[in-house]
Amino acid sequence: MANYLAHFQTIKNSCDRLVIAVEDVSDLWPAVKKGFEERLPFKRACLNNKTRNPVFVEKLAAEFILTTDPRLRSRFPQEQLLFWFREPYATVVLVSCEDLDEFKTILKPRLKLIVQNDEREWCIVFVSKAHPNNDQATKMAKKVYARLEVDFSSKKRERCCKLDIHSPEANFWEDLESKIMESIRNTLDRRVQFYEDEIRKLSEQRLMPIWNFCNFFILKESLAFMFEMAHLHEDSLREYDELELCYLETVNVAGKQRDFGGIDRGDDQAALLNPGNKLLTQIVQDDSFREFEFRQYLFACQSKLLFKLNRPFEVASRGYPFIISFSKALALHERMLPFCMREVWVVTACLALINATASHYNDGFVAPDIEKEFYRIQGNLYSLCRVKFMRLAYLIGYGTEIERSPVNSASLSMLSWPMPAVWPPVPPDASSMVLEKEKTILQATPRVKHFGIQRKPLPLEPSILLREANRRRASLSAGNMVEMFEGRPIFVDGSDSDASLRMSPSSKVHAISMTRTNSSPINFESSIDRPMRLAEIYVAAEHALQNTISDTDLWKSLLSVEEFEKKYLELTKGAADNYHRSWWKRHGVVLDGEIAAVCYRHGNFDLAAKSYEKVCALYAGEGWQDLLAEVLPKLAECQKILNDQAGYLSSCVRLLSLDKGLFSTKERQAFQSEVVRLAHSEMKHPVPLDVSSLITFSGNPGPPLELCDGDPGTLSVTVWSGFPDDITLEVLSLTLAAIFNVDEGVKALRSSAAPILKPGRNTITLALPPQKPGSYVLGVLTGQIGQLRFRSHSFSKGGPADSDDFMSYEKPARPILKVSKPRPLVDLAAAISSALLMNEPQWVGIIVRPINYSLKGAVLYIDTGPGLKIEESHPIEIERHSDVSQSATDMESCDQARKKDSSVVIEEFKQLTLQNGRIELPDWASNITSVIWFPISAISDKLARGTSSVTPQRQSIVDGMRTIALKLEFGVSLNQTFDRTLAVHFTDPFHVSTRVVDKCNDGTLLLQVTLHSQVKATLTIYDAWLVLQDGFVHTGQGDGRPTSDFFPLVIAPTAKAGILFCICLGTTISGDEAKAPQPESVLNIRYGIAGNRTIGAHTPVTVEPAGSEGSTQDLIFRSALVLQRPVMDPCLAVGFLPLTSGGLRVGQLVTMKWRVERLKDFDENAVSQNNDEVLYEVNANSENWMIAGRKRGHVSLSTKQGSRIVISILCMPLVAGYVHPPKLGLPSVDEANISCNPAGPHLVCVLPPVFSSSFCIPA
Amino acid sequence: MIVCVAVVGHQNNPLYIQSFTEADDALKLHHIVHCSLDVVDERVNNPKKSGPTLNETFLGLLYPTENYKVYGYLTNTKVKFILVTTDLDVRDADVRNFFRRFHSAYVDAVSNPFHVPGKKITSRTFAERVSTIVKSFGLSSAG
Repeated sequence: MANYLAHFQTIKNSCDRLVIAVEDVSDLWPAVKKGFEERLPFKRACLNNKTRNPVFVEKLAAEFILTTDPRLRSRFPQEQLLFWFREPYATVVLVSCEDLDEFKTILKPRLKLIVQNDEREWCIVFVSKAHPNNDQATKMAKKVYARLEVDFSSKKRERCCKLDIHSPEANFWEDLESKIMESIRNTLDRRVQFYEDEIRKLSEQRLMPIWNFCNFFILKESLAFMFEMAHLHEDSLREYDELELCYLETVNVAGKQRDFGGIDRGDDQAALLNPGNKLLTQIVQDDSFREFEFRQYLFACQSKLLFKLNRPFEVASRGYPFIISFSKALALHERMLPFCMREVWVVTACLALINATASHYNDGFVAPDIEKEFYRIQGNLYSLCRVKFMRLAYLIGYGTEIERSPVNSASLSMLSWPMPAVWPPVPPDASSMVLEKEKTILQATPRVKHFGIQRKPLPLEPSILLREANRRRASLSAGNMVEMFEGRPIFVDGSDSDASLRMSPSSKVHAISMTRTNSSPINFESSIDRPMRLAEIYVAAEHALQNTISDTDLWKSLLSVEEFEKKYLELTKGAADNYHRSWWKRHGVVLDGEIAAVCYRHGNFDLAAKSYEKVCALYAGEGWQDLLAEVLPKLAECQKILNDQAGYLSSCVRLLSLDKGLFSTKERQAFQSEVVRLAHSEMKHPVPLDVSSLITFSGNPGPPLELCDGDPGTLSVTVWSGFPDDITLEVLSLTLAAIFNVDEGVKALRSSAAPILKPGRNTITLALPPQKPGSYVLGVLTGQIGQLRFRSHSFSKGGPADSDDFMSYEKPARPILKVSKPRPLVDLAAAISSALLMNEPQWVGIIVRPINYSLKGAVLYIDTGPGLKIEESHPIEIERHSDVSQSATDMESCDQARKKDSSVVIEEFKQLTLQNGRIELPDWASNITSVIWFPISAISDKLARGTSSVTPQRQSIVDGMRTIALKLEFGVSLNQTFDRTLAVHFTDPFHVSTRVVDKCNDGTLLLQVTLHSQVKATLTIYDAWLVLQDGFVHTGQGDGRPTSDFFPLVIAPTAKAGILFCICLGTTISGDEAKAPQPESVLNIRYGIAGNRTIGAHTPVTVEPAGSEGSTQDLIFRSALVLQRPVMDPCLAVGFLPLTSGGLRVGQLVTMKWRVERLKDFDENAVSQNNDEVLYEVNANSENWMIAGRKRGHVSLSTKQGSRIVISILCMPLVAGYVHPPKLGLPSVDEANISCNPAGPHLVCVLPPVFSSSFCIPA
Repeated sequence: MIVCVAVVGHQNNPLYIQSFTEADDALKLHHIVHCSLDVVDERVNNPKKSGPTLNETFLGLLYPTENYKVYGYLTNTKVKFILVTTDLDVRDADVRNFFRRFHSAYVDAVSNPFHVPGKKITSRTFAERVSTIVKSFGLSSAG
């Protein structure tokens, strides 16, 4: 059967559509051909797929062929069976007949003969030539057709249809089409069934030795081809997939060594999309096919179908793994293949796949995720192609042009060298080329990196090419190290030499001492077994590649460095662009960096910088510092060349910000010097930069600084500098952020001096102006170096910033500063609680009590109120306050303060002077409660007045009250003030009250004077005398002094003492007429006082310091007393008689009645009372009362004791409420002689007037 | 041979990266690990594609390249483990086993109270443990 392969191929190529046979019985075809062929291709057809499910296919191509055509005639039956797919799928029988007899006798037997072949699916088209006007003919035709239908159509299947040539019926064509389609469908089903059976049979024999893959292939592909013709591409694709699977299973059966293929000229160009690349007969081998060609063929068939199915995405997604796996297969057979066949094939395959899929691909026709996936695969293909292309370029000596970047290193250094059986030898006439290569090798200088960064370049080679190539040479034994390292000095690239040295430490000495005699070109020709030098390897590789590569384009791009670069750029761009359109952004950006490297080499710094920026942003954004450290210097260099100072500065700072381990100190110093140089250069605008990872800061450990509201302070902050050297800042400032208050405007704290930051830890002290109450955390650190304005958000946690702090801008929870809410910081109080002596200089103590707050440097302003004056001539004293009555906490704090200060000798007493009403507190008093004593005297002009026991009148306490306004300024800069007004009570030492103890019969009055001590001090009376007013005289010859034996009389605090004076009524006999009549008596008391100033009244402050302790001055106290002559007895009594029980009402007359009664006779006052009449007068408020009688008049009253009279007055209340009633007065009688008994009511109740009924309206 | 293992944080920041190659070429491994995050992202962001493996931590082979293989593992805290190996025929079970052991080592390392979450893992013990795991890779199941 395998012999049929060639035949099969030709048949397959010659037939590409379904065939419909036309059995032209009545020579009608020429007449109807046009109409039939117009219907092709069938617009819509319903066919069954392999699983017998209906599938609608469109534009089904088909061809009508007459059965007499030679294409259908000359076939052998066996052939027919094998290549059944090309046999007609339907037979259309064209008949025409106008006579029933003719039909019966001739046509019908003939038709029966035609349709009896079961294999065929047939239908009959009866063509009626009858003209529509010819009724006879039409009728006849109808009859014949009816007969035909009866004979050939069955109930199950209509097989006939009728075509009127002159007037075709509208639905004829559809009718015909459906009949043809039915036939095709049936034929197809039958043939699929047949092929499937055959394939199954063959599959069952697969493990038998006679099994032949070619046969299986022909059957399988026939079926696939048939599906393809029927536009059932899915089914066709499945057949090919199965075929591939089967092939891969059989091809790798061990024991059968087959040729791989791929050694023909042109095989290096991948044919994975071109099924017709080679004839299958060429690649057949034994009972199977050569793998190299056949797998490509299968893939090509699959991709052709996929393109027909409009699924270029699937071509790509199948293609990439296909290339990878095919490349592996190539690697297995690499020894047989031409040099670098594998690489070249992959390059061409990728390019072919990219071009084909991209040209078939239409944007937007697929789901977005499919689209992304498609671009990803395109990117992968480009990327793979790029890697292989770079490998080829490296082999011919363009390695120096390839950037030793991580991406190139990752893909090249892990990719093994080509492994030919024998490394290609140097072509015979290549000495000039070798020289040239050698020259380029020697000329190539390693690229100097910016900032003098020393890095070992990343490897681009899996192992040293020199060794690898020499090892694979036929004539050289492997591992001859000495010989191999002979060529070592040629290496320009440090990594290679380093690597080689490390791998062979023993050869190190040899390598160094080795001379280069062998490597000189002079004896090049002579030694054939001498190891190849690098230049020779390059030349040999180039030569070999020239033989391998048949693709002129590819070869051209390897011919010169420029062409290589062009192709390299094209591939890189392709990969990057496609990756950018896929999910794989990182791949895209990294490749952008590779493009940038090329741009940079060509001086296109603008583009290079842009791409590098993207790469840097990618790495920086995710914290891949090692990779960033590789790219950032390049970006910096571009920016430097472009004179982008701001960008360059930023890059330098970022370089400094990177992990310290990534650069040496020297390199970092170079960065810093660039930063400083740039910052101080003539940049037009200041550059703002975030240096959060370079400069970090934190508050000092420990509790936060606590300040009282309104206090300034100093804040100490630790700043970590990441600069390798000291750096001088112009400005350094810091903001504080309130924890709970967001909207408050942040104020920056400025460091006073321009700080110099040492590398590592620095402590910066900042002046802190008064802040609002609240807790504060560190905000942002800002500073300036020249034109560089930096800011840092980073809070280090007590150590240098972690290098990967890039995203953690979390705020530290720990507050750095607490400003407390306003609270009392100090208290001022009077040190005395009881009254002081009036008119005497007295000490007033003010207790100054700090409340957990230092009063250092505090100033007290004292302002005395009216009636008070400070004795300025006397010094002011300050001393520690030690009052037992203080609360326990105060004591405690005092104790603490004492303990705290115990090391220092405390000065606890000091005399101060008052200057302009202010006193400065001494330092020792700043934390303890102290008392300030200052002399003060209250001035009162009033003479103290004694009171009588009859009319006890207490003196108002306000009289002795004086106020002192105090203002304390304190705090760090006297920013705090405390105001208080103290009330100090002054009083006389005694309160004097008098009482007549007894009226003796002889007119002597015993006057008792009670002295009530008003102060909390012991008073000693040395002397007392009474100067009497007019009308009174002392009895006897006394001068008014009690017996002196009583004195001195000591009166305890607030105790009472009494002195008795004997006086009588009478006028002064003394001759002092000139003396003005004295209205009051005056009591003089000479006394002394002994009291404690902390309690109250005390010995007055002596203006001059007392000479001796004993000579205390006696004080004089004077008090006025009013003595009244004895009061007469009342002689008249007035009484208000009760009112009527009905009560008072406005507008109602009422009679007020008073009773006047004579209590005793007017015997003494006879002179004034000449008759028995009494004058009366009624007083009333005229608004409340209307008096209807005589207000004033005389009434007669007998002068006898007990006589009485009633005075009635008619009154009318005018207003309602409680009002004073009218009063009865007796103007002619002294009030003292009238007794109101009982006392009249103070108020009477007056009811409102009765409602007038005339205003009421009955309901 | 395993050439590199890495722990990548949930913000795709490297937390730990250790190469096991002789040559001084760690940077290329950094690159490989970094780029493989593209694949991890793609799988995580396209739940449709991951399908039944949605709830699995083991992401499987990320990169089908000719020269090396990259395997991924995603913890439920979105920390990624990346393994780069030059072995071309690796059994899935071996890799799963490796990641399981690596995961437990990682969990122990980050459970250290002195480790700051989200910061680089500097624990020497962890490094030692990782290198032990790497050395024993493939041996346990082979034996």
